[in-house]
Amino acid sequence: MAVTPAPTGTAPPGPATRRAPAGGALGLVKRFLTLREGSIIVITVITIIFFATSANNFMTGSNFKTLLPYFAPYAIMAAGEVFVMINGEIDLSIGAAYLFIPFWFHEVHHWGLPLIAALVVALLTAMAIGAINGFFISVVGITSFVATLGMLFVLDGITLVMSHATPVSMPSTSATGVGTFAQIFGAGTYSEFIWALAIIALLQVMLVLTRWGVYTVAVGGNRLGAAEAGISVRLVLIRNFVMCALLAGFVGILEAVRTTTATPDPSASNDILFQAISAAVIGGTLLRGGAGTVVGALIGALFLGVLHDGLVIKGVSANYLSLYLGLAILIAMIANTYVSRVRSGSGRG
Amino acid sequence: MSDLDNVHDAVERLEWDERKEDDNPFKRWRQFTRRSALTGGAAGLAALALEACGSSSSGTTSKAATGGGSSAASIFGGSGGYKFTMVNHVTTNPFFAPTQTGASDACKLLGCSYQWTGSQTSNVSEMVNSLNSAVSAGVSGIAVSLVDQTAFNSPVAKAISGGIPVVAYNADVTGNPRLAYIGQDLYKSGQLLGQRIAQLVPSGDVAMFIATPGSLNIQPRINGALAALKATPSITPHVVASGAAVPQELSTIQAYAKGHPNTKGMFAVDAGSTQSVAQTIQQQGLKGKVKGGGYDLLGPTVTLLHDGYIQVTIDQQPYLQGFLPILQLYMYKASGKITGIADVDTGLKLVDASTVAPYLSASAAKFTK
Repeated sequence: MAVTPAPTGTAPPGPATRRAPAGGALGLVKRFLTLREGSIIVITVITIIFFATSANNFMTGSNFKTLLPYFAPYAIMAAGEVFVMINGEIDLSIGAAYLFIPFWFHEVHHWGLPLIAALVVALLTAMAIGAINGFFISVVGITSFVATLGMLFVLDGITLVMSHATPVSMPSTSATGVGTFAQIFGAGTYSEFIWALAIIALLQVMLVLTRWGVYTVAVGGNRLGAAEAGISVRLVLIRNFVMCALLAGFVGILEAVRTTTATPDPSASNDILFQAISAAVIGGTLLRGGAGTVVGALIGALFLGVLHDGLVIKGVSANYLSLYLGLAILIAMIANTYVSRVRSGSGRG
Repeated sequence: MSDLDNVHDAVERLEWDERKEDDNPFKRWRQFTRRSALTGGAAGLAALALEACGSSSSGTTSKAATGGGSSAASIFGGSGGYKFTMVNHVTTNPFFAPTQTGASDACKLLGCSYQWTGSQTSNVSEMVNSLNSAVSAGVSGIAVSLVDQTAFNSPVAKAISGGIPVVAYNADVTGNPRLAYIGQDLYKSGQLLGQRIAQLVPSGDVAMFIATPGSLNIQPRINGALAALKATPSITPHVVASGAAVPQELSTIQAYAKGHPNTKGMFAVDAGSTQSVAQTIQQQGLKGKVKGGGYDLLGPTVTLLHDGYIQVTIDQQPYLQGFLPILQLYMYKASGKITGIADVDTGLKLVDASTVAPYLSASAAKFTK
């Protein structure tokens, strides 16, 4: 059979050749910006430079220590939320888990379990909460927004009932000092930061290199296709919700140990919910699912934390703080959107 | 009267400063609370402090606002240009609007500036972060409302050991190394209310409403009231939690009143519940049959007190809770840490039908627009 010989000469020009590498530094910048996290890194750096130049005492060692609790907790919660959001779902109960689990930890310890055992029980309970969420969403079929909203109210109510609306003091802490357990789990100056870095690194590796992460992206991008390809969609959804609730409960314990009390205030925890989701979205995870980045969630949380800390250091009063935070978030997202066009234009998607 | 000349002078200066502002109910309320605070409970203290500042009383008042600042620095010493931070647990709560006015007025008089920050939702974590940020920023002094038993202990200790004075206002705890507390003695105010309840209701069932039991800024009040009521065994108090938001408080109290027709008295220990008690007595036609009272001076509370639906409320002078911390921190810095700090009880002032009239005129103006 005669085979049409391939045309001589070079292949016809197409997208492949349009992407000729630009020279030197510009090429590097372009490649950097095509990272999903590229734009938010640029914006965070600009914000840091702004505060460093306009507020003295921002770039000091003591302020770095102050800055850590502004973003480390939210980074961890946002990281868990990223996995859920990549699936195209959302978990609104992370604030309530953040509120409830420290109380549960205190209760279980009060019943007589030693510290580590109480911690393990509390974290297992957080995982159970996530599993219930996942069950309602993937097996029963309720939309994630509604299911996790219901769980939010249930957990808030359980917390208030259990605690009689009274704050409790966390184990291993007292008015005079903190024990080793507390030092590791939140009270030490760098403890939250180290936990955040470790968890972010672990989760980013999971997202990019393991089957867990790859299946998550597949289910998020094309649920039907993933199911047809043999991925167990239910399992993927449930384990992502489990991880999300686990991380939220863990952060709740870290923060309660850091401030030495757990306060049963649902309005505060709703605030935390918004911050965590904002960090995830600003960091580059799409609300519609299919794509996301854990490192971006860390940078997003850092951006929000730097903004908040910097504005307080500059002496901005509470009412203006909300205004500036909102404006900064809008500007950051506008920049994000423009830069993401660079990314899609370059074909890396 | 001569002692208060400087105080009146200062009040006039501040009002002259505001002459360009539009006349609105908030402005009148602010001017009223300032006047009553500076010429009322703290007249002596304010007069003493302002005697030193008031050297330019013969100058034109437009110069006085800036003149007040430079003359304060020249009188007290120190470098001036101080920046203070006030950390609050409910930054947007209207109860603290006079507090912010007080702090702002003190800053205008003394030539310094202040920052109002903290949390909107009593989020202790956020408050601790704001306090630490203020320490990092190296502000000249910090005032914080201590709404948690232990969470603020080490941040405040760190601030003080770093050379930044810290005072507490509005809410206090034992075991915290703050330099002073400016605010209401919560337990004592509860005792005073309890004694007044015993006078109003000789015997029978009395309901005591508290918004959120366990909250550090209201639980001691109810504890004090119950302790004082123990001296009158013919009264049976019932403690009821009313809820964190005013609409919820109103529903709870209305339901309670309907369900307990034998109640002789309904009293509350927070602003929202007091307003709801007054409104419930009015709406259910219980005037005269049920005695009522509580705390703070929300608009409906004051109006209904004047009209006789409730009998007593307690003024904790929120204006002073902003004015005095700034004044104390300024003097502490300017004098080189020698003097300035003192505990101040801002509010054991019982307001009843005979003394409510001045409050009413300000809030009536507030409501006519």
